Amino acid sequence: MTVTVTPVFLFNVEQAGLEKAELWDAITERQLADWEAEWLPELFKYIQQLHRAGVHRQFWPQSRQWNWRRKVEVLQGMLSHPAFSILCGGITQGMMILDLTSKRCRLDGQKGQHMVYVEFVENAPWNRPELSNQPRYRGIGSILIRAAIALSNQEEFKGRIGLHSLPQANSFYANTCGMTDMGIDPEYEGLRYFEMTPEQAEAFIAKGNQP
Amino acid sequence: MAQLEADAEIGAGLYAFDPVLDGAHAAAKDSDEDSRVAFGRFIRLMRRHRGLTLEKLADDTDVEIVELVEIEDDPRYKPRLRTVYQLANYFEVPQAKLQQVAGLTIPRDARLIDEAVRFAARSESVAALTPEEQAALEAFVTVLSGQK
Repeated sequence: MTVTVTPVFLFNVEQAGLEKAELWDAITERQLADWEAEWLPELFKYIQQLHRAGVHRQFWPQSRQWNWRRKVEVLQGMLSHPAFSILCGGITQGMMILDLTSKRCRLDGQKGQHMVYVEFVENAPWNRPELSNQPRYRGIGSILIRAAIALSNQEEFKGRIGLHSLPQANSFYANTCGMTDMGIDPEYEGLRYFEMTPEQAEAFIAKGNQP
Repeated sequence: MAQLEADAEIGAGLYAFDPVLDGAHAAAKDSDEDSRVAFGRFIRLMRRHRGLTLEKLADDTDVEIVELVEIEDDPRYKPRLRTVYQLANYFEVPQAKLQQVAGLTIPRDARLIDEAVRFAARSESVAALTPEEQAALEAFVTVLSGQK
């Protein structure tokens, strides 16, 4: 499996400066090991804190049974499901899986057109504000969404992308990314569906290119 | 770009949901089960009320027959959201309330869950729909529909 590594920068919050990072066009065993050995224990530590503080389960982070490793292993190497990851400080900081084939646009004006669907995107727990008082790195979501847009352009989908956002991330996709909020999707566990037009993709890229 | 993003959450997709400790799942199962007994009983009675076989209901609602069997017979089984949506539409009851009864959403309406449990207690699984079952079913549909 050939992996292309692109140099990028993340904002190191503690040092208040940019730090060199790597954008990989893959999720490999290395990232899966980070997820198991670094991400999950951190998540459980947080849930344990809530539990010990007597916080009722309904206020814990949203939960779902999953077997993420198996899912990634199945998708690994499939041309229809490219994946990306960001490494910084020797550890995986964010991951994304895309779907190039099975979803079509829903938004009027581009309904039925091909797009890149973001099947999964996530920050490491220590970069998530609801889990950590001071997130370690910033910029992971923006770099990954830019990668999704770039792939959409490369596939001649003109930058069109779509995704189902977790409730706490709605504002990022609506305001920072400028995607169109198409409301709650009852077929998708009540998550809101967002879609990006070619114009919105261009505006988002331009916003990121500003000094 | 990093500053534009600030400390925003970015999670998207079902796989971005956090996992929880196994113990948490077990605790949730207990509290949801009472309500799910009612859900399974409700689906069974509505089906029999309309004289439908499981096969016919599966065909009409585009739900796997195996899932319908689990819903009717196994209160530990957590139905899929799409299935509850299809069944709510088919039986013409509000989907949000049926989701609560199915234990898929956090109940905001304690009375609904009380009514669901009472309904489960009053209805019995026998071959024909008795007048009592009929009355229990109608009363519960009224509560689900929010008519009183």
